[in-house]
Amino acid sequence: MNESPPPAGSPPVETRLVYAHGLAALITLLISVGFGVLASIELLIPDLAGGHGAWLSWGRLRYDHTQGIMLGWLGNAFFAFLYHAVPILTGRSVTSARLGQWMFGLWNFAVVAPGWVLVLAGFSQPLEWAEFPLVIDVFVVLALVLAIVQFLPPFFSRGLEDLYVSSWYIIGGLVFTLLAYPMGNFVPELIPGARGAAFSGLWIHDAIGLFVTPLALAILYFVIPAATRRPIFSHFLSMLGFWLLFFLYPLNGTHHYIFSVIPMSAQIGAITASTLLGVDVVLVVANLLLSLRGAGWFPRDVALRFVSTGTVFYLIVSIQGSVQAQMAVNQSVHFSDWVVGHSHLAMLGFASFSAAGGLIHVWQRIPWARYNPMMLGWSYWLLAAGVVVMVSDLTVAGLAEARLWQTSAPWIESVRAAQPFWLIRTLTFVPIGAGFVTLLIGLTTGDRGGGLLAIRDTVGLEPIKEIAPVFSEPL
Amino acid sequence: MKRLLRMSYLVGGVAGLGFFAMSVLLLGVWPGRVLEQQIRGTSPDHPLALTASEKRGRTVYAREGCAYCHTQQIRYLPGDVARFGAATLAWETIFDYPHLWGTRRIGPDLSREGSVRSADWQLSHLYAPRALVADSVMPAFSWLFDGAPDRPRQDAQDLLAYLETLGRDRALAGPEGEARARAACNCSDDEKRFGFGSPVLNASPSMARRQGDYPKLSSSGDLTRGQQLYSRDCGGCHGISGQGNGPGAAGLHPRPENLSEHEYTLDRLASSLWNGSVGTAMPAWRDLPVQDLSALAQIVRGFHAAQPEPTLPQDVLALGSRVYAAHCAQCHGENGAGDGSAAGQFPIAPTNFRTQRPSLAASLRALRNGVEGTPMAPWTSQLSEAELSAAAYFVRGFFQGAN
Repeated sequence: MNESPPPAGSPPVETRLVYAHGLAALITLLISVGFGVLASIELLIPDLAGGHGAWLSWGRLRYDHTQGIMLGWLGNAFFAFLYHAVPILTGRSVTSARLGQWMFGLWNFAVVAPGWVLVLAGFSQPLEWAEFPLVIDVFVVLALVLAIVQFLPPFFSRGLEDLYVSSWYIIGGLVFTLLAYPMGNFVPELIPGARGAAFSGLWIHDAIGLFVTPLALAILYFVIPAATRRPIFSHFLSMLGFWLLFFLYPLNGTHHYIFSVIPMSAQIGAITASTLLGVDVVLVVANLLLSLRGAGWFPRDVALRFVSTGTVFYLIVSIQGSVQAQMAVNQSVHFSDWVVGHSHLAMLGFASFSAAGGLIHVWQRIPWARYNPMMLGWSYWLLAAGVVVMVSDLTVAGLAEARLWQTSAPWIESVRAAQPFWLIRTLTFVPIGAGFVTLLIGLTTGDRGGGLLAIRDTVGLEPIKEIAPVFSEPL
Repeated sequence: MKRLLRMSYLVGGVAGLGFFAMSVLLLGVWPGRVLEQQIRGTSPDHPLALTASEKRGRTVYAREGCAYCHTQQIRYLPGDVARFGAATLAWETIFDYPHLWGTRRIGPDLSREGSVRSADWQLSHLYAPRALVADSVMPAFSWLFDGAPDRPRQDAQDLLAYLETLGRDRALAGPEGEARARAACNCSDDEKRFGFGSPVLNASPSMARRQGDYPKLSSSGDLTRGQQLYSRDCGGCHGISGQGNGPGAAGLHPRPENLSEHEYTLDRLASSLWNGSVGTAMPAWRDLPVQDLSALAQIVRGFHAAQPEPTLPQDVLALGSRVYAAHCAQCHGENGAGDGSAAGQFPIAPTNFRTQRPSLAASLRALRNGVEGTPMAPWTSQLSEAELSAAAYFVRGFFQGAN
């Protein structure tokens, strides 16, 4: 790599787009969490909406919760990160700031906001991670095409030069998602029943595995060296991890339908891929954690702290995923709250901690952005506590439900047994909601340029403009 | 090689495009072809497609997120088959654009729901779930109604129509269809065992059936437990003191029985609890242990306050007997056992007076007003007041005694 260092002095980052997407991410996050907590309260007080509340009924809130988290919160946070990272990784600007404004408008005002309203008004599709109605899907696909136009040319214009690991995840993730999204959102409308479910299963996993995971990993691989000022532990492990992940993740989909009518060989293939994926994640996480050595479990730089905890959550959730894909485990915990706990560990633990870490990291580097380190410190501890309690609670709830389903007890017994766990789950809204509010406050109050000061405080170094060298160690 | 693997073109082309194509082929297209073949071999020749109303109902089901708490997929596992019935075959979902399999079960699987509950139960339950199932967490879909459970709007009617299709095609395929599908199914022994080997297509413990064995209940039972079960599982319809006036009763036709106006034999209660009551909203309770059912029977029998029986002049009984033979026996049977020659034609079985004795007032009321929601019509235009009273007295004589 020494033969092709990025040009000295990275091109300017479009900080206004970083800021706009960052703010949109935090606002859509709070709204999505609101949908989630309302839905969770309705499991405790089912008549909360008074029976007249079509717009606030459980099913519609549930649809908006996950779509808002994936597209609103994570989508915007990823875009904010890309506007910062792509110029630094490639030494080239993104395609067009004007295009960026259009994409921002499209994503938030043609996808997320109208998607939410349409779902509440009763226009949706009953497919997991694809609940926004078809008309919205058209705009998502358009936005994904524009994202490729915006972010990938800087990578490709570098020709045959090799790229840092974050770049691979960005390229792979964006290309894959553009292809996978229509497959999950359109194909089951055209191919019925069990055959459509096979495609649906693929998308359920691709949404997490090939959209959220690669971009979250791009953040982890970016923030860790940038914040510690040390190259990643092993570029070889990074490469091994990347290729195995992109090979194995797409083959996981059918594990959402184990013991279904889908051919057993496809199920067994997916279970095998799920098992191997756990092994691969151990490689990836080992590489990341070894890169973090010396920083401590709770680094002083709060961006790094979020990111390093996100890495640990990634390890736990992936191993859990490998375990629950095994037939012996899956047959009892499938359909239960265990899985709800698993998805919160993935989206709220791994993905949201990575996205929050990435957002804080890029915020620190916007000279005019306000930054309140105390609030961000609170945010970290509140969220960490909330996630751990919530996921443990739902996991135990799932085991309790699974046990009752194995007996001849009436079905309603499992609903009764879940009630205390659901109450605790709802109560975890207090730390989690407060954690996200303090995250928003932390990034909108405090001194302008406070982030730069915080870096100097925590790392003890002047923030260097040119940090690209940490991304370009020879293999 | 190492350098090659880090190139943007290779990353975009192989990881992004290539692995996507591979996964779609391996886990989408190929299983789809196997399933298509399976469907061709196992499907009945003419499965019933959804009507326009049923299709609209399916849209309501989809938009309200029903599939996020209720699966429509019975897995190939002993636990699933025991609880819900034969595992779901590929052809059962061929009209589902998109599929509604679901991945979470807060409520039970609904693959075979169509034949489990009566229409009035379904509507009342959609309108106010907790009036019928005390601990349910289902949202109340009252906005699909015009202010009462028996006044469904179009959406609720369509949703009901859709719910009634669940499991219909498989049931219509019948034993011949099952046998043919089993022979044609290119599937493993395990798949055959769970897909076809279930003793019943629909294993729901709530599904009412016209007849069937029922357990012998004990005439003693834990009254505290019984009271607790009654107020939780029965009070919603039958009312806390058994008068048939619970909050769930309003939308049910026929109305839930007023338990305090009847004496029952223990077997009669066992049969009702175990088999439900076909044609009415009374579900079966086969998922409750026998000692719980015994305790419930104790509570139900306790609602009836014993009163001194008047002795009647012979001529009144003779008149009652003549009226009964002329007008009632066709349905209720010569001996009052509810087994008259016409009984089989009705969706609701006529009352068996040998196992259940109405109070005089209840008996008269039924004769005068008929029983709404059942084939029992008012008799005032055909019988004189004396004849009505005599028949009301007479039918009470069939009762075989409480034990």
